[in-house]
Amino acid sequence: MTTRPFVQVFDAQNKVVGKVKLPNVLTTPIRPDLVNFVHTNLNKNARQAYGAAPYAGEQTSAESWGTGRAVARIPRVPGSGTHRSGQGAFGNMCRGGRMYGPNKTWRRWNRKVNVNQKRYAVVSALAASAVPALVMARGHRINGINEVPLVIANESVDTLQKTKAAVELLKKINAYADVTKVIDSKHIRAGAGKARNRRYKVRKGPLVVVSGKTTVSQALRNIPGVEVANVSRLNLLKLAPGGHLGRFIIWTKSAFEQLDSTFGTFAKSSAQKKGYTLPRPMIANADIVRLVNSDEIQAAVRASKVVVKRPTAPVRRSNPLKNLRAMIKLNPAAVSTRRTQVKSLKSKGIKVSKKNQLRAKLVAATFNQ
Amino acid sequence: MSQKVATKTAPVPESILKKRATSQKKAVDVAKLGRAQQLRNSRLNSVYFKRAEKYVSEYHKTEREAIRLNRIAKNSGTFYVPPAAKVAFVIRIRGINGVSPKPRKVLKLLRLLQLNNGVFVKLNKASINMLKLVEPYVAYGFPNLKSIKELIYKRGHLKIDGQRIPLTSNDMVEKQLGKFGIICVEDIIHEITTCGKHFKQVNNSLWPFKLNCPRGGFNMKKTPFLQGGDAGNREHLINNLIHRMN
Repeated sequence: MTTRPFVQVFDAQNKVVGKVKLPNVLTTPIRPDLVNFVHTNLNKNARQAYGAAPYAGEQTSAESWGTGRAVARIPRVPGSGTHRSGQGAFGNMCRGGRMYGPNKTWRRWNRKVNVNQKRYAVVSALAASAVPALVMARGHRINGINEVPLVIANESVDTLQKTKAAVELLKKINAYADVTKVIDSKHIRAGAGKARNRRYKVRKGPLVVVSGKTTVSQALRNIPGVEVANVSRLNLLKLAPGGHLGRFIIWTKSAFEQLDSTFGTFAKSSAQKKGYTLPRPMIANADIVRLVNSDEIQAAVRASKVVVKRPTAPVRRSNPLKNLRAMIKLNPAAVSTRRTQVKSLKSKGIKVSKKNQLRAKLVAATFNQ
Repeated sequence: MSQKVATKTAPVPESILKKRATSQKKAVDVAKLGRAQQLRNSRLNSVYFKRAEKYVSEYHKTEREAIRLNRIAKNSGTFYVPPAAKVAFVIRIRGINGVSPKPRKVLKLLRLLQLNNGVFVKLNKASINMLKLVEPYVAYGFPNLKSIKELIYKRGHLKIDGQRIPLTSNDMVEKQLGKFGIICVEDIIHEITTCGKHFKQVNNSLWPFKLNCPRGGFNMKKTPFLQGGDAGNREHLINNLIHRMN
């Protein structure tokens, strides 16, 4: 979220002439899902009804001949004397028939969108236009401008009357690169829209937001991609064309200052929209991982009870009666006992076999280790 | 005159420093636990040693006492009757087919479920009567120290969580029988040999022994031992059979 206390104001020569406070509306939560939904539904409210003529393909008294005539049972034109007689009618597969499921003018053309949803969407779009990354991601060429959001002094904008002067201003503030992109993007539309008064497709360029009455719209309207809007009547279809966030907006100083009264602040409700307060983010800091790993939280949470069970290795077993190491593991005194037995046998003068002598030697060696 | 420029070290993120400290503390704790475990093992080894030595001395004393009494009796022209055995080792020598319900139940109570299975049994009025009921199906007698020791060391298994686990370390003995003061294999052998206070618990913790067919074979399984067969009580001669089946 872009949060700065002040934004700089520039004049026609791209020099700083003052600063203005950043309105709260530009730091509200950004809701791409909501903007897309509202845009999709609002865009339907400008549609005009269309459909096939109600009687198209039905203006005949055709009836089927039925069965028994070695022809299909499609309704057929009555009469005689012309080639039309006996031809198929009505069906969608017939020449001169009606289409299957013709479009009707009583289709549900418009959509109702809640006022609060519309306002939230507009506010989200404005907040997104204050984030340089989102503006660039939308495709606008803003590498040369000084600051996002870009605020221009009123004396430089309100007095514009000529398109030449407007282009000069855009070039001075390095915003004309976006217009150049729009000019280069003009190409013929794919599909049937070419024949329906929608021949060319172009990108969107900068949106100039003004307040009050000005002549700037006459100066800007013939520059490709540039649009003008009034700050008290911002349209979502201009702020987020196509439902995509991050429109490049050029503000006038008075329009920028009026945002606080139009949309209100976090502390005060709007002066223009009755009872409206800005939406607040669900959480102030979105870095959940860092929050959870902080010392304060880790000190409060209960220790984990999850026990990681490792697979038990199969027990390799040796016979302790033959394997001395296994015997020592179970009975450490085994070596001493055997040593004592061998010694006692020797002291009695009993002859110890060669096998037992070797064993005694091994036991002694093991014991002395 | 050139001056040496101090090299700047890159700052380390705080989260990484914290993670390092936590890992180091954990490593220290693990090392401490390791040393404590080592010390405990060392002391336990000493305890095992002392207990085994004590038992060897005890067995020796018992043996010498029997010899002494026998000599006194011989010199004075009287008789020495050795004390009755307290523990029997019972081996099932007949299969599971054709067993009547009552002997089958008794064999089940003795935990002799398979051919060549063997268990220790404390001898009292009740168990002697049980053994009489199943005499045609088992061979039993009075084992000596050598037989008991070899059976437990070679074929000993503990019942842990209802599972048959080989007896491979003294830790598992302590875990199962530590509350009775039995912490190593020699303690188990001592308890079985002397029929101690906790014989019942120790014997129940031992899984029935699975023995081999005897080397040299049986004589006649269906005939009593006194008539030249294998079934029934053969007192101290059971040790020969155990040796051949172990």
